[in-house]
Amino acid sequence: MAESEAEVPKAKPRPIVRLGIFLISHSCLFSVICCTAGVLTLLLLPVLAKNTYISENALMPGSANPMFSSQEVSEANRLVKSLTSLDSKPVGSGIESQRLIAEYMSDLGAEISYHKFYPRSNQFHPLHFFSYPDSGSTRENVSCISHGLNTVGIIRAPRGDGKEAIVLVTPYNSLKVGPGEALSLGIAYSVFSLLTQVTWLAKDIIWLVADSRYGEYAAVNAWLRDYHMPVFSGLSALKAEICPVSNVHNELKENSVTERKINDGFRRAGTMATALVIKVTDGSEHFEDSLSIYAEASNGQMPNLDLINIVNYLAVHRQGLRVKVEKMRSLINCKWLKILGEILQSLGHVAKSLNPQWKFGIPAKDYVEGAATLASSLYYQALGVPTGPHGAFRDYEIDAITMEISSRVALNNKARKNDFLLRGGRLIEGVIRTVNNLLEKFHQSFFLYLLTSPSKFVSVGVYMIAFALLVASLPVVAASLYADAHKVDPSFGIDKSTPQASATDELSITPRSCKWLNAAKKVFLVHLWGAVVSFLPYFICQIPSCTPTTSFVVWVLLSSFSLPILSLILGSSFSYGRPSQPQKRDWTLLKSVTISAAFIGLCLMSVINFATAEIGALLMVPMCLMAQPLKLDIRSRKLRKFLRVACNLALGFLGFPPAGFFVLKGAFEGFGGITVGDFWSWLESIWSWSSATYLYIAGWFERTRS
Amino acid sequence: MVLHCYFHSLGHSRSKELKGNPITFYADIVNAMLIRATGQNLQMEYTRSLKLLDHVKLSEKPGKIIPSGDIAALVYLWNPFTIVACVGLSTSPIENLAIILSLYGACKRQAPLAAFGWVIATHLSLYPAILIIPMILLLGYGTDTPPRKLFLQRRNVEVGDNPPNDRCCEREEVVHRSEVPHVFSWRPVIHFFCWTSLWSVYVLVLCGISVKQYGGLWELFKRTYGFMLTVQDLSPNIGVLWYFFAEVFDFFRNFFLIVFHGNILFMMLPLAIRLKHRPCFLAFVYIAISSMLKSYPSVGDSALYLGLLGLFVNELADMQFSFFLFCGYVGVSLLSPVMHNLWIWRGTGNANFYFATAMAYACLQIILVVESVSAMLNHDRKLRKPLTELQDGKN
Repeated sequence: MAESEAEVPKAKPRPIVRLGIFLISHSCLFSVICCTAGVLTLLLLPVLAKNTYISENALMPGSANPMFSSQEVSEANRLVKSLTSLDSKPVGSGIESQRLIAEYMSDLGAEISYHKFYPRSNQFHPLHFFSYPDSGSTRENVSCISHGLNTVGIIRAPRGDGKEAIVLVTPYNSLKVGPGEALSLGIAYSVFSLLTQVTWLAKDIIWLVADSRYGEYAAVNAWLRDYHMPVFSGLSALKAEICPVSNVHNELKENSVTERKINDGFRRAGTMATALVIKVTDGSEHFEDSLSIYAEASNGQMPNLDLINIVNYLAVHRQGLRVKVEKMRSLINCKWLKILGEILQSLGHVAKSLNPQWKFGIPAKDYVEGAATLASSLYYQALGVPTGPHGAFRDYEIDAITMEISSRVALNNKARKNDFLLRGGRLIEGVIRTVNNLLEKFHQSFFLYLLTSPSKFVSVGVYMIAFALLVASLPVVAASLYADAHKVDPSFGIDKSTPQASATDELSITPRSCKWLNAAKKVFLVHLWGAVVSFLPYFICQIPSCTPTTSFVVWVLLSSFSLPILSLILGSSFSYGRPSQPQKRDWTLLKSVTISAAFIGLCLMSVINFATAEIGALLMVPMCLMAQPLKLDIRSRKLRKFLRVACNLALGFLGFPPAGFFVLKGAFEGFGGITVGDFWSWLESIWSWSSATYLYIAGWFERTRS
Repeated sequence: MVLHCYFHSLGHSRSKELKGNPITFYADIVNAMLIRATGQNLQMEYTRSLKLLDHVKLSEKPGKIIPSGDIAALVYLWNPFTIVACVGLSTSPIENLAIILSLYGACKRQAPLAAFGWVIATHLSLYPAILIIPMILLLGYGTDTPPRKLFLQRRNVEVGDNPPNDRCCEREEVVHRSEVPHVFSWRPVIHFFCWTSLWSVYVLVLCGISVKQYGGLWELFKRTYGFMLTVQDLSPNIGVLWYFFAEVFDFFRNFFLIVFHGNILFMMLPLAIRLKHRPCFLAFVYIAISSMLKSYPSVGDSALYLGLLGLFVNELADMQFSFFLFCGYVGVSLLSPVMHNLWIWRGTGNANFYFATAMAYACLQIILVVESVSAMLNHDRKLRKPLTELQDGKN
């Protein structure tokens, strides 16, 4: 085959093949260019961001005048006052406040039900990604003593058929209602009371007062799970058996005379079109009232861009609020980013002077802000932990955001407070009215995007360019290495024909083109090891009564032992150290296989969670390209080689701490149940481990030579 | 090696017993054993033909010829596609069993067995009907050998080489003896047809009895073969037809149905002419093509042809792009569940995402078929090379 390959260029192949050969022969240059281009494009993303626009025509945001008036504001004030007065009472306020809210709701004529839930420590589940959100609902970990109680009120739409709903969520701590929480409850209540009167409502409204005693996310998640998984009588009886004293409902019912509509059953209102989580924080703002939007759900998923657009549009153009999204504060004061922004600005000016049509220059300040927002967007998406209770909705394909309204000053002044309530209420009303117009689910706009400001976004088609450029060097280098390995072949083939060589050389049995199988086996083994290592926390956290430290130690020990065991089981030839001649070729093949494995993995990851893939690619691509066997380098005493060794070690070291960090985080997540036992930790650790693969392979080479 | 095989199959079984349905699992085991037997048969033939062609260099070394049957069986058993199809309780192992049974029977030249396998396979999934050409060739000519021309050439060389004496006669006799199976023998083929008609009548009668109260045989054909041929179920699978027929205008539907199914038939004849000396390989190519173009493909079909590919590991050792194909298969098989998840469960993707992987998969299969056929032809050329050199030297 090597001969036929050598003949190919002579035969004047087709242009595309010639281009391929050209690229492969200049793979070093090509990879350097590609990597730089990839990083540059990533830095250019804030410039390439487009303005958002509302792409679903049915929405028509802000086309109707708000009906929210001072009457609703006084309603809100009434609730807030009674909540705060309740809060001054010392005991039993947990149930009291809920009863109060339920009373208010039932006065409005809404259907009310209580939802009792038990907080359960989230299990680290390795296949979380592919399973339906909570198919494996394990109910063993229910502790009977502690439970939370959500209050759910539903308004039936006069024009609807009960098949669709919009959800309002107000998380609050039932034990201690803070002023911000009381205000958010007040806003939600006033909107709710308005919606009982309006005639335009086509979707039912669900108001979920989530008990955030055990975390906002847990409460919302528990409610959603029960909403989507109907519990039949058998199971509820079982539950009652487990927890005999579950007569909260009765208690609540007996005490109140007015609650005719409360029933034990779980009330539902069809599929949810949208969910809005409302929060109020107290004035730390300097300029004006502002609205922060949090959108990142688990595993880097985002709600449809249209939802953010309408909130942004209504807040800015109707209510005059300043809209913010999360920024990475440390980057704003970054020197080099500022300089880069200046350069880009001047470049933009130059371009504009050349041709007034070109308008890609943006002011340096905007650039820095955009870059900071983009960085935080990337960071939160890559981390995969939802930034608020809205994250639970995305697992059920419901678009949701958290709207955190914060006022300029502390809300002691009555008029100021009324104004704040009025604006907040009008904003919520506007959003609900807009979503109410929706005929289908949100589908028109983007799901895959990065925000650079509330009104600017980078769509998937643009940011994929940066990623593609970054990883484009991997297949080319792999191909060139593969070709190299076969070019070494002919000389080796001559060796082989002599009887001694063929007698000793076991490898000569395998045909030439299948030599890569050996390397593939090694890479497969190391990846399998990585997978085992990242699966281990799942089993370790099954061990009862384990402190995080001991389980971490157990984990480290087990993972280091699992490699020899694996290689023993698979009968892999890890320990054979053969003399120098074939080793170089083996090494190139090994590197080529590893690089292609990394390429496949990165492409896969970019589909699942772009941000993780981008960050992983930034770390792994240089590592993959630079890796060389340490021993070979050290033996040849040259300055350049030493430099390369130093680079390798530095990169390996850089690549390794994230591995430790992420896996540690994943492990702790499994043990402590801090947040969702999500798929991300698994993937993170897989990929950080496959980057550790490199260090490992380099180390292995060192070991075999010594 | 047998023990090795069994060890692996036992390891295989453990994952299977979790799901509790043993039928598909046993079908897989039997498949692997039949593939192994077929492979040994093929390999014997291969060694014999190499000896006849005096390729001492190739045939002498013990390590040079890989036990292809074992490799193929192992590839079949350890293929993730096989495991997935088996764990997913797909019926494809049983269909594969029928196909492999017919191939095995034809290799052993047992017409009844071959006919039984073919009839059952056709009854189960219709597409194996095209395997009748390799069946006839297998029964007529025997298993895979280098082209017949080579033996004739070789004989000419021998005749020209040796002066007429006793040894020459001996040689000629050997050559003649070797050529006996290369003449098309009609007897087993006629046997095969008789048995085929017998089995098919048998199957039809049984079917007729069992579906009598549901509308008879015609209804059965309409509901099964008709369902396969007029692609009615458009739920997504790893093939490309569902997307195409979801998009196509209704009044073109019949036309494209004919085009797509005609596509398989068009490729049959040229391939049969070119590869008539290697009927087993021809069967592999047919299976690969039909698994690419069939209406409801599954990974079980891919498992079958990848397993059969292992049978020709000696001939295809110099296949190009093997590494690329391997990476492609790994990548696509990992990517397509993720795309499916994005589309169906997470709602962030759409059908195009998933269809893109299906297209990539189809392209990979095409490359695999093209490269394997060209590698096989190259192999034949390589066998001819020393002969022609020899001849040239003589002249």
